[in-house]
Amino acid sequence: MATKGIDFAKLNLRDALDLAVLIEEEARDRYEELAEQLEVHHTPAAAVFFRKMVRVEEIHRSELEKRREQLFGKSPVMVSRAAIFDIEAPEYDVVRASMTPFEALEAAMKSEVKAHDFFAAVVPRVSDPEVKKLFEELRLEEVEHQQWLKVEMQKTPAVKDVPGDQSDGPNEQ
Amino acid sequence: MVTDIVIGMAGSGGDGIVSAGDSLVSAAAREGFHAVMTKSFGPQIRGGESSCRVRLSTERLHNPGGALDVAVALNWDDFLKFGAELKVDGHTIVVYDSKTGIAPDKLPLVGVMPAEVFSVPLTDLTKSSAGTEKAKTSVVLGLLSGWIGLSREVLLAGLKRKFGKKGEELLAANERAFEAGFTYAAEHPMKKPLLMQQPLTKGMGKLLTDGNDITAAAALFSGCQFFGGYPITPSTEVMQLLGREIWKYGGAMVQAEDEIAGIGMTVGASFAGKKAMTATSGPGMDLKTEVLGLASIAELPLVLLNVMRGGPSTGLPTKPEQSDLFQACFSAHGDVLRPVLAPTCVADSFDVTVEAFNLAEHYQTPVIILSDQEIAQRKETVDPIDASKYTVLERRKPTESELQKYARFAPTETGISPISNPGMQGGAYLASGIEHNELGAPSASGAVHSRMNEKRFRKFATLHQRRDLVRVEGDPEAPLALIAWGSIAGVCREALGKAKAEGLPVKLLVPTLVYPFVEDVWREFLMSVKAGLVVEQSYQGQLYRMMRMFLDVPPGISSFARSGANPFQPVEVLARLKELSFSLQGRVSETQRRDA
Amino acid sequence: MTTLSPNVFKSELKPIWCPGCGDYGVVQALYRALSAIGRPPHEVAFISGIGCSSRIPGYSTAYGFNTVHGRALPVAQGVKMANPDLLVLVAGGDGDGFSIGGGHVPHAIRRNMDLTYLVMDNQVYGLTKGQLSPTSPRGLETVTSVYGSFEQPINPLLTVLSAGAGFVAQGTPADMPGLATLVEEAIRYPGFAFINVQSPCVTYGEDDQQLRAHKTRMKSLDSVGHDPSNFMQALEKSTQYGTELYTGVFYRNPNPPKSYDVLVRERQETLKPAAVPRERMLDMFLQK
Repeated sequence: MATKGIDFAKLNLRDALDLAVLIEEEARDRYEELAEQLEVHHTPAAAVFFRKMVRVEEIHRSELEKRREQLFGKSPVMVSRAAIFDIEAPEYDVVRASMTPFEALEAAMKSEVKAHDFFAAVVPRVSDPEVKKLFEELRLEEVEHQQWLKVEMQKTPAVKDVPGDQSDGPNEQ
Repeated sequence: MVTDIVIGMAGSGGDGIVSAGDSLVSAAAREGFHAVMTKSFGPQIRGGESSCRVRLSTERLHNPGGALDVAVALNWDDFLKFGAELKVDGHTIVVYDSKTGIAPDKLPLVGVMPAEVFSVPLTDLTKSSAGTEKAKTSVVLGLLSGWIGLSREVLLAGLKRKFGKKGEELLAANERAFEAGFTYAAEHPMKKPLLMQQPLTKGMGKLLTDGNDITAAAALFSGCQFFGGYPITPSTEVMQLLGREIWKYGGAMVQAEDEIAGIGMTVGASFAGKKAMTATSGPGMDLKTEVLGLASIAELPLVLLNVMRGGPSTGLPTKPEQSDLFQACFSAHGDVLRPVLAPTCVADSFDVTVEAFNLAEHYQTPVIILSDQEIAQRKETVDPIDASKYTVLERRKPTESELQKYARFAPTETGISPISNPGMQGGAYLASGIEHNELGAPSASGAVHSRMNEKRFRKFATLHQRRDLVRVEGDPEAPLALIAWGSIAGVCREALGKAKAEGLPVKLLVPTLVYPFVEDVWREFLMSVKAGLVVEQSYQGQLYRMMRMFLDVPPGISSFARSGANPFQPVEVLARLKELSFSLQGRVSETQRRDA
Repeated sequence: MTTLSPNVFKSELKPIWCPGCGDYGVVQALYRALSAIGRPPHEVAFISGIGCSSRIPGYSTAYGFNTVHGRALPVAQGVKMANPDLLVLVAGGDGDGFSIGGGHVPHAIRRNMDLTYLVMDNQVYGLTKGQLSPTSPRGLETVTSVYGSFEQPINPLLTVLSAGAGFVAQGTPADMPGLATLVEEAIRYPGFAFINVQSPCVTYGEDDQQLRAHKTRMKSLDSVGHDPSNFMQALEKSTQYGTELYTGVFYRNPNPPKSYDVLVRERQETLKPAAVPRERMLDMFLQK
């Protein structure tokens, strides 16, 4: 599932903006959850990166929210989080205890690609030209994010955690 | 005139022996006598041999008594199956059905010559009076009424209550049978009459109940609103009575799928804020142990009644034993303290149950009541209880300010923390079997574990000071001691009285709170005596062994213990006391000789 | 009823589940469902047994009770009987529910209290490091079945259906919003409701049972035209446990009978007039 109950052909700009806000919000919240998991499991470097992603996604979210408010004020939001799942948010199972910063970057990259593909897939289904423009803009932003992540990945040693190589095995409780 | 009579009757289940016993004690209670009735059965569910003992007295009774004054055998094979439970000796008057074909001088009683023997044509009398053989026990009631002077009117009124609903004809037949017996007794007086003296409290109504039923009533009195349990002999009557009554008081009784679920539900109800109880017997105790530990660490109030029977395993489901004491005190992994209370008679079961709920709620802990089959299932007259003299305690709820920043296991000075329950705003917490900190958060830290263990033990500090939960009776200056708990304490109380009558000074210690020991009282008691017996119905003498674990036991104190289903008689306890006294005098005179 | 933010239900305690564990998605779904229901946290009692998944009550702001292994259902029933006003949730793993606590399941179902029981089924014992579970597939090699197990797995769906559960569903955190909807529906069902949550163990689970695999394998019952009011159809679909990963409601009794807790209330009301004052409790034994 990516979205549920959204008819893109009838989507107006207000709802599209709200949808975009929720997509960023979901990504932000998920990065936060995953960062928390990694912090509890002594994987600080990857957690630090996920915390950074929390801030990045929050900036995107608040920019979109501002735009929505400028255009439509505080009128009620008609789309809900229940309508979306895992659009820009990394999947729950991308994290592992002892994962490396490089692997965290890879996970983020996958999510940006996923988000890009989402917008690319829905743009043709949209009929409102303004919505089309918005989604196209968001798609290009994802490309930018990918560029940024690529640079980050080049700066980061391409090390992957191989379970059992160095670390102790899991503990019993 | 006599003041105390023990009647034992045996027959086959179809004879209605127990039902006749019920009629006797009910009439006795109405007349103002003190009465105790116990029953015993063969292994058959229906139609096996059955027996009952009824003891009537003008004085308060402490136990079902020893050898029989009157033995009634409808059938000798059945009678003999009960052995020591229906002991006949040289003072017993034996009454039996002549239809058994046994000559009065050829009774199948080895080495015993009863005081008097009545071979009564019971079957023939029944047939000729009632027109059926079925009313045999009504003839017996008539006989006993005639011989011991228990009111004919009251007994007849009892028959009316019993048979009135079943039809005029049946009632009339039983009334005729009763009269036939009554007349027979008048025509055949005893050589040495056994007429009962009238009680001082004549006409004052008494309660008539058994340990299980009064425990259930005490639970309701204490505000118990939940019972989860599983049927098990000999405790099931508790759930049966509660299942009938508890709903009226906003409560619920549920018959769980097993013993574990029974206590699990009880713990759940307690967590939800209700006073809750479960009941069982040995095998059920085994199964409940894990959840009992959960209640201890989660600090949830809970009352668990264990009506002890013979063990281990299935053991002797219908016979009393005191062999679950170790289990009650120690069956838990981890460091756990939980109060263990024991009633000594039916009336006592009320007090002990109210106390158990109070301790559970006050200390937020499971409390075990160790009753036994005899107390639980023996019918006994109880003088009306003045409920106003009992205090009923409630658990310590958090205050408004405590709820502002609620810590379920807050380290208070007493160790007792305020306890919330679901539905209470601000009081949400995680209860858990896993070790937790003051807030309830799980923790595997050694520091937290020590701290919380200390708290869970500290909260019982005042319990160790409850001197009122250990009773010391008899002559305070006596050098001879008896120590007993549970139903055996009743036997010892009577032995104490007998000793006093014979000029032998004895004192008796009976712990209501069996564990933990109220050490001050025990220590003072043990230091004040030279010799004594710890009388117990268990092969190992479990209380004696526990005393040696927690107290300095003087060498003069010894264990007098035997397996369950072998009743103690007050006279044999007295005999042992005399032996002790004799050897003590011997020692004293020896010392005097040496000193001289 | 007003909805509350899902965050209202999130406690300060941080989950100790392995990163990547399916249970993270389950707890999110739960926050969401509770938020949709709108009862405040203090009116919710959340009872669990022992196992990784049984840690879940601690991660919510509701009243929680992390009991002993296999006994969540009895404790939860005690809570509900004692206070039928509470919203009572029960959770545990496949070992807790269908092995050590298996005896309680059919009885909880036939008693039909208004509870929601979530089993986080991962086909393995995680807390004790990867042993065989009652739902492990036959032949599975684990540390306690080194040469492969001989045992056929229990089918949780079939088990609860055959015991008479009025609401039976299956979900996966691979579709967290879908799972949240199922939990919400289960809570709204006025009786015993069961959800088998396929919640993969990232550490000891099989590779083909992870969330990623769920995403491709899961098939909604709606999409195959399943009618949840049809009991026989539900039975038939549930037999495919272990081969198909169906999500959605297998069965919802279209005519739910009164639940046990409602009957308890009614009986209390009926018998209340017969109560005697507490100090006269012993009159029932008086011989006059």
